[in-house]
Amino acid sequence: MNCQEFRENIAEARANADLLQHSAECEACAALLNAHGTLSAGLKTLAAELRHVEAPARVELGLVAAFRSQHWRQRGAVGRQWWIPALSWATAAGVVIVAALFLLRPHQPLPAHRGAPGSVEMASMTDSPDVSAAEGDDGFIALPNARGLDPAEEVNIVRVEVPRSAMLEVGLAVNADSVSELVEADVMLGPDGLARAIRFVDEPTM
Amino acid sequence: MKITPPETDNELFVRLRRGEESAFVALYRRRQGAIYRFVLHMSRSPAVAEDVAQEVFVALLRDGCGYDPDRGTLSGYLFGIARKLLLRQIERGRVDVPLESDSEDAAIPELAVAGSALEDLTHREGIEALRRAIGTLPRRYREVVVLCDLEEVDYADAAQVLGCPIGTVRSRLHRARALLLDKLNHERHPGPNVSALNPIRCLT
Repeated sequence: MNCQEFRENIAEARANADLLQHSAECEACAALLNAHGTLSAGLKTLAAELRHVEAPARVELGLVAAFRSQHWRQRGAVGRQWWIPALSWATAAGVVIVAALFLLRPHQPLPAHRGAPGSVEMASMTDSPDVSAAEGDDGFIALPNARGLDPAEEVNIVRVEVPRSAMLEVGLAVNADSVSELVEADVMLGPDGLARAIRFVDEPTM
Repeated sequence: MKITPPETDNELFVRLRRGEESAFVALYRRRQGAIYRFVLHMSRSPAVAEDVAQEVFVALLRDGCGYDPDRGTLSGYLFGIARKLLLRQIERGRVDVPLESDSEDAAIPELAVAGSALEDLTHREGIEALRRAIGTLPRRYREVVVLCDLEEVDYADAAQVLGCPIGTVRSRLHRARALLLDKLNHERHPGPNVSALNPIRCLT
């Protein structure tokens, strides 16, 4: 081993037999090793002296406050998380229920004069007793089994699209090829919302 | 009586992520001193050291703090953040530390000592001289001395902090110590560098 090798590995000299052997034979390298040892001891002493140097207490206070603030936000976010999907589902369910009620409830169309068709809406043609399949002057045909209308009763008329087969129900002739087609019809609703008579628009009633 | 070993940094970190304040406080108290001192040695500014120490732990609180136990120790991670923040401060001119361009191969003084120059390094004056000498080291050498010699960070962690191979840490530390010895010698014996004038050559 020469001095160059010794200097390059001086950090491990005290644990390396070859290096120690060299330092025992070389006065300069021995002095160097001694200096390194002294330097290491000095660094250790300095490190020990500085060990008490720490960040001011206000840093910890500020950080703990930041931690609490962040954690509370996260906890709030976590707390909110359970009801966000619940609220979404509840909202969606509510929309579905409202839509279903709107579509299924008996409609209360605007009062209309006989023969003045309203907007196209769905109309239920509920069976009701004591109605004769007779056609009036205004072209309305009483629905089978529907209750008769008192002349004083207020009626509503709604325009709907129904399968042409509905014409069969009131005794009208229908071409077999066009049974599935939709045709426009005015449905007369009684004050109870039930359909009483129907008039097919632009369709021959023969 | 059963003595429970102290929680590791990683165990504290896990609890910290669960929102346990006690874990955060324990981790902070365990690591803040070293971080603060590292920045203080490098910047020589208590205000900068305080700011950086605070920022380091604020970063640890962030959800995506980026600490991965598989890639290194938490201590190394914290030192790494501190170093990056410090470099940012230096670039902004807030810290009066030159951004050195000296390469790894920059000339270093001959390793030599003059008699009893270092004998009192463990005494008050010697310690102060050593502290001054460290403060005048180029940044790349100062940081390895502070990390490895003063804060006793192992070479692997230091390599993680500095973003370099362990071998580079070793060589920088070797050079840093040589520079320290030279500075201390020079302080005791002002004038031309004795070792430079009389390079020691051993032929054994």
